[in-house]
Amino acid sequence: MDGIPGPDEFRAQARSWLRTVAPARATHQEWGRGDDSVAVFENWTEDEERAHTERTRAWERTRHDQGWGALSWPAEYGGRELPAHYEQLYRAEESAFDVPRRTEIFPVTQQLVAPALRIWGTPEQKRRLLRPLLRTDELACQLFSETEAGSDLAAVRTRAVREDDGWRLNGHKIWTSGARVATWGVAVCRTDPEVPKHTGITVFLVRMDAPGVTVRPIRQMTGGSSFNEVYLDDVFVPDTDRLGPVGEGWRVALTVLAAERLDSGGLGLDNADRALDLARHLPRPLNDGERQQAADLFVRALVQRLIAVRVTSALAAGRAPGAEASVGKLHATATMRATTDLVQQLLGPRLAADTGEWGTFAWTEHLLGAPGYRIAGGSDEIQRNILAERVLRLPKEPKGAGR
Amino acid sequence: MFRLDADPALLRETEEQRQLRSVLREFLAQTCGPEEVRKQAGSPRGHDEVLWHRLAGEIGVHGLAVPEEYGGAGGTFAELAVAMEETGRVLCPAPLLSTVVLAGHTLLDSGDRRACARWLPGIADGTLTATVAGFPQPGGVTAERGAGGWVLRGGADFVPDGAGADLLLVVARAPDGERLFACEPDPATCERTARRVLDPTRRQALVRFRGAPAEPVGEPQRAPDTVAGVLDAARAALAAEHVGGSAHALDAVLAHVGQRTQFGRPIGSFQAVKHRLADLLVEVEGARSAAAYASACLAGRRTDELPVAASAAAVACTAAYRLATAEYVQLHGGIGFTWEHPAHLYLRRARADEALFGTGDDHRLRLAGLLGLTGRIG
Repeated sequence: MDGIPGPDEFRAQARSWLRTVAPARATHQEWGRGDDSVAVFENWTEDEERAHTERTRAWERTRHDQGWGALSWPAEYGGRELPAHYEQLYRAEESAFDVPRRTEIFPVTQQLVAPALRIWGTPEQKRRLLRPLLRTDELACQLFSETEAGSDLAAVRTRAVREDDGWRLNGHKIWTSGARVATWGVAVCRTDPEVPKHTGITVFLVRMDAPGVTVRPIRQMTGGSSFNEVYLDDVFVPDTDRLGPVGEGWRVALTVLAAERLDSGGLGLDNADRALDLARHLPRPLNDGERQQAADLFVRALVQRLIAVRVTSALAAGRAPGAEASVGKLHATATMRATTDLVQQLLGPRLAADTGEWGTFAWTEHLLGAPGYRIAGGSDEIQRNILAERVLRLPKEPKGAGR
Repeated sequence: MFRLDADPALLRETEEQRQLRSVLREFLAQTCGPEEVRKQAGSPRGHDEVLWHRLAGEIGVHGLAVPEEYGGAGGTFAELAVAMEETGRVLCPAPLLSTVVLAGHTLLDSGDRRACARWLPGIADGTLTATVAGFPQPGGVTAERGAGGWVLRGGADFVPDGAGADLLLVVARAPDGERLFACEPDPATCERTARRVLDPTRRQALVRFRGAPAEPVGEPQRAPDTVAGVLDAARAALAAEHVGGSAHALDAVLAHVGQRTQFGRPIGSFQAVKHRLADLLVEVEGARSAAAYASACLAGRRTDELPVAASAAAVACTAAYRLATAEYVQLHGGIGFTWEHPAHLYLRRARADEALFGTGDDHRLRLAGLLGLTGRIG
């Protein structure tokens, strides 16, 4: 592709390409018909998850092969070296078309793991893995949290012990989404228990089909299973699948976590919009308090979108985004709670008992799923610590006992 | 239905705006420190006239958004918003909101070229102060045509900087409906009483017209639209001010909690304090985004989006300023509750401003109406 198209030109090109490969989404879904799911976490069986993943993967491959995936990446990885914010411009166009909704494993693979691999991977690893990850031939999940290492991720106890040409991994990971469909897991492991906790960590890329890897779904409070436990029993990982230097794993993990924060700014917006539609269509007049509550949710969602525009705008100007990039996830979880609160007020008993009416009891999926995002991907409390210490530069909390 | 389709360039600060911001911040640091602000606010006019002329002449603040043909710089509202944010950050008592935003935009939006040519150059060069009366609620003033021309009768209350302004733009009921009038007040026919105010840096007055001569401004039918547009511009300007004031409060608290020690630790190392400041940062960044969008709608003449953008900015920015000023006092402890500390001046500004063009809840109701968030009626 010659040169860089201007934003308007690029969006027009994206639109006309999308028209050739995907049907348009109904611009205004008719209220009271169609899918009324507002699930925050899918309640799929393994077969359903696999089927949906295959549909999404097929779409991602089409995108990649026709020059509309990996937009900001170099040509050797199938990209076009466009500025970072062109991805957002593309997504704005894609949202008008009926394409498979990307479940979490896709952004984890493309927006979290691939960029970390680009920073920390060896030339051989980049050649071998980047393109398959971007094309989603390979899907990567995060083997980060453990039962005793949640917010304090650096306390991980999964051990990796050196052998002749590789490493032997033993441990138990938890809260891994997409583990059932992933081909790789990015595992944060302890390689040196004798040094302070942040310096004894190394990250490995683990084949999810390797002998000794066992995946067990966790049933979450929504009733379904979106997360898994992953047991690593004497799993062998060749040294060529170590990501980053030995003992530098904490920095590698931080790279992934920072990308995760950036990627979470759009959370909850679809359901907020749906709740506002409910406020428009409810078959009775809203009282003043309800109107104010609905308008407040509208402002929250608008502001969340504007913050994302400012982040894009900073990237487009070649600047690193400032505080606006870090506040996104806290803003998003607050939007999700405000959505629940509005729906609670508008639906009354129809939220507590299923009358069979369209778009009523279905909101229990949102109500029960939303609390999960206040914990996942760095809890609200950890997000506040990050804002306070890294953005506002407040003094660090004194450390407790232990390393 | 309202759908945001924002170009990333929309909210980007230009190089000129960045320069203006840094020039103003330095200028105001030298001229509008906390002690100077108190002195200026306590002076007979309620602001420093030398500073007023320097702002107009040296920096050109007053003419930023005034077209060149009327003696201005021909910029947009986005530049003016930078000035409002920076003056709001230090609580500069200069009557920019009344003169430049309210009166300036009323003249411009009225479409009355003769009135613009007569008064806008004075606003742009700082020789004229002006304000509006009868915004947002008209009703108290009537206009009638006498032998010597139009005269005004009745009263308007809560007029910003009303006691000192050289020119009043008044919404009045004329025989043919609501109209705008310009009145250069004369004590013989216009009695002006300064109100005791919550916020000493922004004065208000009761204005009584007793047959005060006035000239109509703009076409008769146009007045309600003009007023509506000016009010939304004023909300966007206040939103920018609130961002500046909130950001100052956050900075001041950060400085304090970093050096204040209790229990052998800086109080800023306690999670109870850190988390509150993180929450305040989230609010301030949200407010900044909403204010930038409202400014961009005015600057880019996105008039369809303006009412929603202005009210959304009012909701986000009044909430942020309420929280920021409450935390400004609270996280300074006892010292923050003293008369000498500037925190209360910001708290006063935050609360008094909400009374001007609508509280957060007023704007939520307005938004619900604009967006159809009303359920099915009837």
